[in-house]
Amino acid sequence: MPPTLSARGVRPDARALADVVTRLTQDYGERAATTRAIRDQHSHGEGMADAALPDVVVFPQSNDEVAAIVRLCHAARVPVIPFGVGTSLEGHVAALYGGVCLDLSQMTQVLEVNAADLDCRVQAGVTREQLDAELKGTGLFFPIDPGANATLGGMAATRASGTNAVRYGTMRENVLGLTVVTAEGRVIRTGGRARKSSAGYDLTRLIVGAEGTLGVITEIQLRLYGVPEAISAAVCQFADLEGAVDAVILAMQHGIPVARIELLDDVQMDACIRYSKLDEFAVLPTLFFEFHGSAAAVAEQAGQMQAIAAAHGGSAFRWATRPEDRNRLWKARHAAYYAGMALLPGRQGFATDACVPISRLADCIVETKADIAITGLTAPIVGHVGDGNFHLVILFDPTDPAERAAAEGLAHRVSLRAIRMGGTCTGEHGIGTHKLDVLALEHGDAVETMRTIKRALDPHNIMNPGKTVPL
Amino acid sequence: MTDAVVLGWQQRIRDAAASGRPLRIRGGGSKDFYGQEPVGELLDTTPLAGIVDYDPTELVLTARAGTPLAEVERVLADAGQMLAFEPPHFGPGATLGGTVAAGLSGPRRPYAGAVRDLVLGTRILDGRGTELAFGGRVMKNVAGFDVARLMTGALGTLGVLLEISLKCQPLPKAVTVRVLECGAAESLRLTCGWAAQPLSLAGTCHVDGRLVVRLAGAAPAVAAAAARIGGSAWPEGDALFASLREQTHPFFAAAGGPGRALWRLAVKPTAPYADLGGAQLIEWGGALRWLDLDAGADPQPLRAWAASHGGHATLFRGGDKAAGVFQPLDETLLGLHRRLKANFDPQGILNRGRLYPGL
Repeated sequence: MPPTLSARGVRPDARALADVVTRLTQDYGERAATTRAIRDQHSHGEGMADAALPDVVVFPQSNDEVAAIVRLCHAARVPVIPFGVGTSLEGHVAALYGGVCLDLSQMTQVLEVNAADLDCRVQAGVTREQLDAELKGTGLFFPIDPGANATLGGMAATRASGTNAVRYGTMRENVLGLTVVTAEGRVIRTGGRARKSSAGYDLTRLIVGAEGTLGVITEIQLRLYGVPEAISAAVCQFADLEGAVDAVILAMQHGIPVARIELLDDVQMDACIRYSKLDEFAVLPTLFFEFHGSAAAVAEQAGQMQAIAAAHGGSAFRWATRPEDRNRLWKARHAAYYAGMALLPGRQGFATDACVPISRLADCIVETKADIAITGLTAPIVGHVGDGNFHLVILFDPTDPAERAAAEGLAHRVSLRAIRMGGTCTGEHGIGTHKLDVLALEHGDAVETMRTIKRALDPHNIMNPGKTVPL
Repeated sequence: MTDAVVLGWQQRIRDAAASGRPLRIRGGGSKDFYGQEPVGELLDTTPLAGIVDYDPTELVLTARAGTPLAEVERVLADAGQMLAFEPPHFGPGATLGGTVAAGLSGPRRPYAGAVRDLVLGTRILDGRGTELAFGGRVMKNVAGFDVARLMTGALGTLGVLLEISLKCQPLPKAVTVRVLECGAAESLRLTCGWAAQPLSLAGTCHVDGRLVVRLAGAAPAVAAAAARIGGSAWPEGDALFASLREQTHPFFAAAGGPGRALWRLAVKPTAPYADLGGAQLIEWGGALRWLDLDAGADPQPLRAWAASHGGHATLFRGGDKAAGVFQPLDETLLGLHRRLKANFDPQGILNRGRLYPGL
């Protein structure tokens, strides 16, 4: 029996690995790829480049196929790296020790849509935009919208969120149940259709956000919501950042159920004005709002929000009520990352992900902006302000080691600052490989407990080894 | 935390682990009836009390596990906030720790989230006496495994809760309660039809041929929703929902009587109404069915019915616990549960058998 992958940096036994690759190419034919191009494609996500190639990429089409592949890898002690469409930002999918990349992008069936129960069941490879399209006409929608067109499997694995989290929650609150292939290759179902998840321990929430280190998510039962009868979007600009953040704090206090509240700092706004041609706006800290509900509720929420914003130095609201106008605004918001990148063509960008108590948010951003100024780097800021979560996209020249080091130093200080202010280094992007050191600072002894959970559920350390809590 | 109480507990846990004698973790004892029979030497959590941190601006409260739930709710109400999941007290001594360990939520749960959705972080002692903190005090945190939520509903079998951070919500500005006369099947048809609509729902209850609906939120939205739902104003107002939450409603009084068993069936909301052999009270827009049965009733048909509708059946009060309180787990899931239990509590001393025999 080949040895367990216990030591960091150890590749699987060469002979056992070769046998697995042979077996997979026999069993899956063209659905098991060993070409350099395909392995390259599956060696990294987005964000900081840190590619590591898998030895083979397999494209399973069913739970049973996933289970068979994992059983094979379990017996041979070969790593299994689940892969959706590769949009994770923290090195989640790099095959650090080689092994089998399990590309779930051919598992794209929407298995059930239960309109009256407000839920659906999808295979892991269904993307966010595919689900949107399939739900069109049902009167339902799924609110979690990370910037990328990620797969629902990847979104569950990383506990993703997005711009709607204040009102609708994150993947944590919206996954009702999972089908998971365990590290031993058994298919289990956690949770269920009932609102109160299954009897026993909450395995669903343990596996949501475990970044593929405890098992392979193959199906997801998702909570759906009625499409709001009325939707209204608005933009409000502020003289300073504190005014914008204080307005949001007060809105949360009043329980105004704003669906989206997004902050863009002056640098980001400048980028978006240029990139998305938002010429009607000024280069100022800006809030994007969206209100959902009945016509009466939307009018009331918007009126209250407008009064609060005005009291904090906000400009008059600029409304977007027609769908095409709203889409233009939110498209610009979702393109913020690319807009930021376009500020300095040829640079690379990587994102930070601090989340702090909302009362510290303005402090944290102001301190961070001073820090950015000292480094001389360009780093636009967007924030999911209602949650206290904000991102820098730090631009740097990858060919200049000093600049890369400055960028990494800045990102690290943002994480430390968030932890010092009672928050976390990651509100939604996850740990992957990039934040392992900060996780230890943030959680101390608890990381050891997470490690023992990992050992208990994946005794041979084959599930996405080296990520989240490396053994 | 160098609290003397915690130091004392650490010693007791280490002693218990060394001797293999189980500890029965208990706050106010208001939920002693729930789950399998508690066994072991008492570890009273009420000395570890007090609110550690609460700034209403944050919408987050952190308190020690032994803090009375009533105190938490009073402090929140003074600031115009609430625990939106409406945890049942089931007695004057209910503690915050017991609330999270039991994982029970009240009438507002489908609309505002369950206790597990609102737990942001926990601090615990594991079965070795090691103090551990998971999650935090911020709204979103994806740093590592979500162990804080794993503690929720684990009935103290994975650790002794020391401190909990919870998300709070502003109290609704307006509350209106409506009543419609209808049978159970019609009630389910109505509530399922409303689910996707912006109706400011904050509780539903069908019993005795009446559907009572609570609406809460901003006044104009509530008024618009009331007009759309129809029916008439319910004269008793919100008191009905308080009586559901605390199970002081006459339905529960009868179901809790001698020779009776109260069953709790969590199912998908569209599960059709079925005669399961006793009176039913339906909450959560159809997702929760309470059933008043003879204490000796066979659990198998109930469990099969609940499972066939995406859920599970729990023997909530009374009846024969020997047949199991919670829906049995299949072999693979039970294996995972055993591994998690062994991981947190290798000697199996914390609330032994309270959730499942052998866990």
